[in-house]
Amino acid sequence: MKTLTQRLLGPVTLVLLGLTFGFGLWVTPPDKVQGDLVRLLYVHPAIAWVALYVSFGTATVASALYLWRRTRSLVVDRIAYCAVEVSTVFIALTLITGSIWGRPTWGVWWAWDARLTSTAILGVLALGYLALRRANDDPSLRARRGAVFVILSAINVPIIHFSVLWWKTLHQGATVFTDNRTLKVHGTMAWTLLMSFLGFTLSFFWLLRARYRLEVATESRCAATLDDALAARRSEGAL
Amino acid sequence: MGYVAAGYGFAFGGLTLYALSIWWRGHRGRR
Repeated sequence: MKTLTQRLLGPVTLVLLGLTFGFGLWVTPPDKVQGDLVRLLYVHPAIAWVALYVSFGTATVASALYLWRRTRSLVVDRIAYCAVEVSTVFIALTLITGSIWGRPTWGVWWAWDARLTSTAILGVLALGYLALRRANDDPSLRARRGAVFVILSAINVPIIHFSVLWWKTLHQGATVFTDNRTLKVHGTMAWTLLMSFLGFTLSFFWLLRARYRLEVATESRCAATLDDALAARRSEGAL
Repeated sequence: MGYVAAGYGFAFGGLTLYALSIWWRGHRGRR
């Protein structure tokens, strides 16, 4: 039986993403400097937020819980695996939407800038994790190796975050808040940005839930197939 | 506006395709 939160997650996500789409494209005004290109900033930062902090953060916490003996279970391992898969999609979309904004703004699709390169490295690490998962059939060995891999990969997240401060980068630093934590964006622009962050964050949890349920169903199907194969071999032996 | 359309297309289209891929994998498994 679904709880109220589970029932509302999908519709609320769709409404928020729909509002972000509509407000971002048609309601918010063009920027004085960037013109219509500012509309891309209602999607790119929110997607990057989900890719780096929400989804990779979820995977890291779940992996740490797996490695801690008292909370070790296949449930947290599945959450880590599914979160990394969803994160891979968000990292790819971060790089694509950033590149589309960068071409008319910076004049290039790609630059070997610290923020861009470290984000691309996280994407490669996420793909490496998914490959590592497929390389092992033993569930506990696969979960343990995967958890260690995620935690080591997560070291890259603060590097991405602080890259704009540690190195001289083409990518700008924090643009929503000033140094003394006051908002630099106002009116419909601020509301659209808020809806975007909420909508994409909820979309992550919605996708994670769907992906987790798919994983459980796949595992139970594999177990049933194995049972059928064993029963068939036993019956062959009895003949 | 072409860059904006492309950005929104990839962002929303990409997420929709991924959601559909989850649904499709589940649907294929149930058959």
